[in-house]
Amino acid sequence: MLWLQVLVNGLALGGLYACIAAGFSLVWGVLNIINILHGSLIVLGGYLAFFAHQYLGLNPFLFAPFAGALMFVLGFAIQRAMINPVMMQPVLMTLVLTFGLNLFLDNLMLAGFKADYRKINLQPPLGVLEFGDIILSVDRVYAAAVGLALVGALWLLLRFTQLGRAIVAVRMDREAAALMGIDIRFTYAVAFGLGTMMAGSAGALLAAIFPISPVSSGGYLGKAFVICVLGGLGSIPGVVLGGFALGVIEAFGALALGPENAITISFLLLIALLIVRPTGLLGRRGFN
Amino acid sequence: MSTFRALVGITFTAASFFVSPAHAQDVLRIGAPLPITGALAPEGAKLKQGYELWQEKVNAGGGVKAGDKTLKVELVYYDYQSTTPRAVQLAEKLVNDDKVDFLFSPFGSGAAKAVSAVAEKYGVPLLASSASSAEVFDQGYKNLFGLYTDNSTLSEPIADLVKAKIPTLKRVAILARNDLYPLSLGNEFEKSAKKRGFEVVYYEKYPIGTLDHSSALTQLRAAKPDWVIVTGYINDLILVRKQAAELKVGGQVYTLINGPAYQEWIDAVGPLAENVTTASWFHPVLNYKSEDVFGSTKDFVAQFKAKYGAEPDFTQASGSAVGVILQLAVERAGSKDRNAVREQLAKGGFKTFFAPVSFGPTGIANSYIPPVFQIQQGKVQVVFPPDVATSEFRTK
Repeated sequence: MLWLQVLVNGLALGGLYACIAAGFSLVWGVLNIINILHGSLIVLGGYLAFFAHQYLGLNPFLFAPFAGALMFVLGFAIQRAMINPVMMQPVLMTLVLTFGLNLFLDNLMLAGFKADYRKINLQPPLGVLEFGDIILSVDRVYAAAVGLALVGALWLLLRFTQLGRAIVAVRMDREAAALMGIDIRFTYAVAFGLGTMMAGSAGALLAAIFPISPVSSGGYLGKAFVICVLGGLGSIPGVVLGGFALGVIEAFGALALGPENAITISFLLLIALLIVRPTGLLGRRGFN
Repeated sequence: MSTFRALVGITFTAASFFVSPAHAQDVLRIGAPLPITGALAPEGAKLKQGYELWQEKVNAGGGVKAGDKTLKVELVYYDYQSTTPRAVQLAEKLVNDDKVDFLFSPFGSGAAKAVSAVAEKYGVPLLASSASSAEVFDQGYKNLFGLYTDNSTLSEPIADLVKAKIPTLKRVAILARNDLYPLSLGNEFEKSAKKRGFEVVYYEKYPIGTLDHSSALTQLRAAKPDWVIVTGYINDLILVRKQAAELKVGGQVYTLINGPAYQEWIDAVGPLAENVTTASWFHPVLNYKSEDVFGSTKDFVAQFKAKYGAEPDFTQASGSAVGVILQLAVERAGSKDRNAVREQLAKGGFKTFFAPVSFGPTGIANSYIPPVFQIQQGKVQVVFPPDVATSEFRTK
């Protein structure tokens, strides 16, 4: 039964992993920006949830979409003010810019929040579900459920709303979309805002389970990267698949080769997949 | 462009700064590379508090008496951003540019070992505030003096206690952070357990920065241990304790190092702290009479509390302790001459508020046994050694 518990552990994290990577995938897929800032935005979302819980008593699972909404504004502003002016430059330029912003935001959070790890302690604790020998903690179930719901909402938005179709149209053909009357700069800002929103929501959910600290942003960025490549870039169902795949791979990797090698295994798999199937499991060339 | 300039400005002010300008002959200048930012920032801030309390206390009394001179203490800090290579560069800078007389080490075993090579090259005595792994002291250096005793002094007393109090206990599980000090400590626990005839049924390492321990703990639970030992730093141990409870990991005894001796750890895990054992080199409940500026552990704790509003933990106390040891060595030497001070440090016999401190042939302290603690009703109690114990060791 050990393997079943391990499988459950992996799946429980999968939903949250999908949420971590969805915004990253969107920004990469639509704007062609490798957003190094993504991990820091996740951490910032976590702090929003932490302070909302500490000072206003708000439940982080319910607060997650609102944290996302606040972060949307920030993302929109960042794209408008800083990234839009260099959108026409080669991808290296935006990479360097988001890398710089990442350093800046990380150090700003270090200065403001200190490097201490902080965690939301829900009172009373949510406890665990037991199915015979199998144990599943309730907070992880909530986080996975809310995370998947948000990813689902993003998918619906892109698929069925005019705004969503505009984002996809800009990705497919910038000039043609502009000729159809789509405001390109505005659409870019919205897309980046949505990516930031997903990062912020994921951060709020993470803060309910794991401690947060400005120094952990790099780890989340790494996970987002692996998930996007596993599932395939530019596809929301791919992100969900990639999230669950990473959760399960990490869990079984730890079981087979010891916890210290779990991350190594997921990155080895990433390299193998890049060689064998560079588009990922569900990857497509455009974002739709 | 102005945003960029502001950004650069902030980065620079955060990256390096001076405390008090360089001047005059009659100063005792000490270089202290600290992790002000980065992963070890909490520890860096704690060490700094310890240094500054000592500095303030000494300077308020006139300074360090070296023969017929009185030397004001001057500390020169640089932020090494929690990265060891940077600590090494900054140690060179402190010796060559800032002309410091002595060095305090960066935090932890790994960085202290790296910087000790610089200290040896220039013949500058280096006091290591927080290095306890024997591997740090294996290079035959003459200028390295470590305040903490060897890791085996943490594992042996606890293993003795467990063996004596729970004769039926057999199965031991160890989960160690894959890092110099926690791994070395994990190995010491394995040795101590095997030596006493316990069966080590699980021994695994987890990577630095792990947030989800469920895979490791699932396997650990399946091994059905009686005694669970986990090594790491405070954040690791908060997570492990909570996740172990969620996954209903069994076991009669939990030993977690380093974490439970910090009040923050107890606050973070709440009732799960109950009966957890740990060991550390210092705790405010100790009471040593000392020949240093503080007078006793009790007085040190009171003065620390007056300045910072909370009781000192072992890292904060370590900062002050390396200060008082250096001060005593300079006073005994009667000058700040490095050779004379080094000789006094090697001679040892410092009665400090932290512990009675003398250094062994490799430079690591060997003059005291770190106490064993147990959390009982949310309070830290000393359960070993008997002469400082405040309570009896409890089992579930």
